[in-house]
Amino acid sequence: MLNATILGQVFVNGVSLSAIYILVALGFTLLFGIMRVVNFAHGEFAMLGAFALFYLMKTLEWHWAFALPVGVIGVAAASLVLEWLVFRWFYQRMFESMIGLLGLNMMMMFGAVQLWDVHERNIPTMSGDVLMMGDIIIPVDRLIVVIIALTALAGFYLFIRHTRAGLAMRAAAQDLETAETQGVDTRRTYKIAFFVAILLAALAGALWGQIYAVSPFLGERPLLMAFIVVILGGMGSIPGAALGGVLLGFTESFVGTFYGAAASAFLSFGVVILLLIVRPWGILGTPEN
Amino acid sequence: MHRKWSAALIGAAMVLGGAAAAHAQEVLKFGGIGPLSGGGTAWGLAAQRGMEIAVEEINAAGGFKAEGKTYKLELIMYDDLYTGAGGKAAAERLVNQDKVKFIIGPVGSPPALGVISVTNPAKVIALTNGYAPQILKNDTPDPYNFRIYPTNIEFGPPLIKWLKENAPEVKKVGLLAPNDAVGQSVAGALAEDYRKQGFEVVLDLFERGIKEFTPLILRMMAQKVDAFEFDGNSPGDAGLMLKQIRQAGFKGKVIQIGGPGSDEIIEIAGPAAEGFLSYGVFDWDTPAGKKLRPIYEKKYGKGIINQFMPAFYHTVFMLVDAIKRADSTDTTKVRAALDAMDGFDAGIYGPVKWTGKESYGVNRQLMFTYYLAEVKGGKLITKAKFVP
Repeated sequence: MLNATILGQVFVNGVSLSAIYILVALGFTLLFGIMRVVNFAHGEFAMLGAFALFYLMKTLEWHWAFALPVGVIGVAAASLVLEWLVFRWFYQRMFESMIGLLGLNMMMMFGAVQLWDVHERNIPTMSGDVLMMGDIIIPVDRLIVVIIALTALAGFYLFIRHTRAGLAMRAAAQDLETAETQGVDTRRTYKIAFFVAILLAALAGALWGQIYAVSPFLGERPLLMAFIVVILGGMGSIPGAALGGVLLGFTESFVGTFYGAAASAFLSFGVVILLLIVRPWGILGTPEN
Repeated sequence: MHRKWSAALIGAAMVLGGAAAAHAQEVLKFGGIGPLSGGGTAWGLAAQRGMEIAVEEINAAGGFKAEGKTYKLELIMYDDLYTGAGGKAAAERLVNQDKVKFIIGPVGSPPALGVISVTNPAKVIALTNGYAPQILKNDTPDPYNFRIYPTNIEFGPPLIKWLKENAPEVKKVGLLAPNDAVGQSVAGALAEDYRKQGFEVVLDLFERGIKEFTPLILRMMAQKVDAFEFDGNSPGDAGLMLKQIRQAGFKGKVIQIGGPGSDEIIEIAGPAAEGFLSYGVFDWDTPAGKKLRPIYEKKYGKGIINQFMPAFYHTVFMLVDAIKRADSTDTTKVRAALDAMDGFDAGIYGPVKWTGKESYGVNRQLMFTYYLAEVKGGKLITKAKFVP
């Protein structure tokens, strides 16, 4: 069954999967790296991003290029209320955050069920076209997702590396007390980090909903994927999230195609377990002191 | 002033209370069980809503008469978490605590098996759904359970026969189903049905929850399947598969024998749904469908309506009719009345029929007319009608 077309198709599919997994994992790892918060509600912000895009594109009939940034920024801005109500109490309290945010996760999910009912909805597609490269088919909507994801990744990298807020975040992540004594306003830094993390989650969710479907349960899968990616790459490591996303995306595409779904799931989780045993800080993470 | 108001209120309450007592009717409580949380929520809500609408309709018409009394209905609904233990716990609560004699639901096989393990010894009537043959075919000496919805044991072989006759180019079928109790039993049985009729079958099971089916689709295309089959999947997943199959460039037939939910599939797959062949049991364009849709939309809002909704709506009417025929709420008498309800027509499915003797040893499997429909221009067009 191995031929060039299938291999090409598997590669294309691997790229598009990786892009989404990276986006989902970036915000998750950022919250952990800086605030030591394990955001079990991460997937629910992805769900909100998807619903925002759904309403803007389907009900208000906006063009996606307009609806996507408005929806995603809107969700991130509105989520600052939850930051104030819930998240800020869990900063630097890893174990409490797990339980507390698992509760928030359930509340948001079943709140969404009450609000929007359970059936799956379809966001109008960004493009129904396909590109043909020889016999290899590239759906244009997937291509757009890959481009947006790469742009977001690059933008995020520039933000972390080349802005004062980014510098403050890195300082706070490395050594909180020293950063505070050097005048870093951690409350403000945390708020910005939270905003960026939720922005990325909502963007990932909107794109996820765009190529798959939207329902109150949308967040479950991205959360699981974020976990695997982040454990692979290293909790709190941003290059690690990128590497983990690529590894998971390509593993799923190749192993799923050649050995079936069960083998793919077995391998992904098997590698995670193995890694947790031999290198619990992940491929690019740093060991906790 | 304050005291005067209180006195007036108490007086009013007493008058109202007295008025209510004068019109008091007997209330017949019955149990409803379905998944109201987790992955099966869509089905559980559909079941609950169907029953709620039926109860409201029956009560608004003044209730019903049996044993010389006028009864109003009251539904007590519990979540089964879509598990065997959840179904058992819900049934125990209904039977022992709420003292109900009739239960409608649940939807899936694991909870249904849990429910009947409680209801049959207690001589409580259970009108369940669920695909597992063991729901009807078991060692219980004198069972009180019925199945209200057909399974692919009933409709699979006729639909496959139709495919063989009407799409002779299809020789090899690819089956994609979730790797859980539902997927394994449904897809396994369906694969067997296909093989019996001379088809080659490629079966792949995946973990429920994944949304990216392209690797599995490519795997099947590389094995040169001529058609894809989705039975055992939720409508949302089936819609995604359909979309991804077309995006992967597959041009052949795509069919779903079982697992109704075509509206949702069409919604998710969009233009990729064109040509999709689907089994269906309820036609929304019939007079019953046209009447039921606005009632549902007024109460629960517009949106996709799961096909279990009319099924559970129908079952409430069937149960009430059986109680009226038995002129009793004694479960043994009502069971006998239910057994004799061949030809009952509540205006939903047309005349229904009990079948199942051959497959399960008891005639407790409800059958009604079902369809094979094709999506054309985003709408389902009936291609074949199967009358039991």
